[in-house]
Amino acid sequence: MKDVSIDEALERATRTSHAVPKELLDRITGSIASTLSPVRPLPAPWALAGGLILLSMAIALLGALRAGFQGFEALSASYRVAIFGTLGGLLLIVARQVLAAWTPASRRSLSPAAVPVLVSLALLVVFAALFHDWHVQRFVPAGLACLLTGLLHAIPAGLLSWWLLRRGYAVNLISAGLMTGTFGGLAGVSMLELHCPNFEAPHLIVWHTLVVAVSGAIGMIAGLMLRNRSAG
Amino acid sequence: MDMDGDLEALMARYQAGDFTAARSLIERLSPRLHSFLAAQAANRVDADDMLQDAWLRIHRVRHTYRPGGPLLPWVYAIARRVRVDHYRIAVRTAMREQRFEEASNAVADTAGDGRPAEGLAELLAPLPPSQREVLELLKVAGMSLEEVAQATSSSVGSVKQKVHRAYEKLRRTMGLMESDKRHSGVAP
Repeated sequence: MKDVSIDEALERATRTSHAVPKELLDRITGSIASTLSPVRPLPAPWALAGGLILLSMAIALLGALRAGFQGFEALSASYRVAIFGTLGGLLLIVARQVLAAWTPASRRSLSPAAVPVLVSLALLVVFAALFHDWHVQRFVPAGLACLLTGLLHAIPAGLLSWWLLRRGYAVNLISAGLMTGTFGGLAGVSMLELHCPNFEAPHLIVWHTLVVAVSGAIGMIAGLMLRNRSAG
Repeated sequence: MDMDGDLEALMARYQAGDFTAARSLIERLSPRLHSFLAAQAANRVDADDMLQDAWLRIHRVRHTYRPGGPLLPWVYAIARRVRVDHYRIAVRTAMREQRFEEASNAVADTAGDGRPAEGLAELLAPLPPSQREVLELLKVAGMSLEEVAQATSSSVGSVKQKVHRAYEKLRRTMGLMESDKRHSGVAP
């Protein structure tokens, strides 16, 4: 059996296809006629991505304004460039993935499941490369406080991103939730890097990175719940 | 202007509120969409319902189409979601009623006009859903590999791999069918 034979069989099968009854076509046309009005297409992707990034930066800055910039002040200039440069790059990459999840038939450069993994790995590598204080003090209490603070900024960032993209349409609500949650998580980590003066490597590697994973998981669960609700 | 370019121009007019363009799009795309939806529908009535649902959804989110972009991947990405939602609702209903077997038998027996989905659906039946879907999009919708990748939110490499595996499986299945026919003395 050759591929040509399979092609021929598929073509034969396709030819037996479905004439759609005229009544059905009339019914469909009739049902959209009453609400047919001009619509404004979605803004350009760069505008939406820019909006998402500005929103996440605003949330991180507002959070740090309220809690203090102790972390940022304690960092040297080169460390600031390395950390915030990485965060900026990740925000840009994830913003594009969020947009792709909310626009049908968008080109995807990364699988949705790979995004939070790659973001977490990138943060982990940067923290491990820059910080070498491996002592830990109050590992769990200090870590939980940072995780909570990060999430308290990640969740509003995720919700506002969702709101910004409300005119979009997610063909897969679970991956849209995962992407939006991961993006919110990055806003939470940005706020922590501005605020948190704890430079112990295990603290940064575990608790700051965990904000992205937990926020992504929350987004994914929200997407799952919405999908179940929309499917009746 | 080629056919797809023509579709994209119609879509732009549809977004601008042109009823004639909307009707023309519905008439031109519905047969292909119906085939795509029917391939996983239990019967003709289900496929009709899905087609109607797909168009209502396309209508509701028509602003998410970016003028100038290819239309077919956008349309099929939405139709794909409709198909998944209908499948999920069917499974959930069956679970709720705790009558899996009865439900599927009843569905098979009471196909709207007594005609089950046929042809392509039967041919592709041995394939897993993801492989069946890419072949439907390539062969029924006439999309390119790149467009199928866009419609299914995956990479071109992944689509190629699925097509390759689907052909391998079809080659085996159709080879077996031919050999069965030969053994039972039925003329090919």
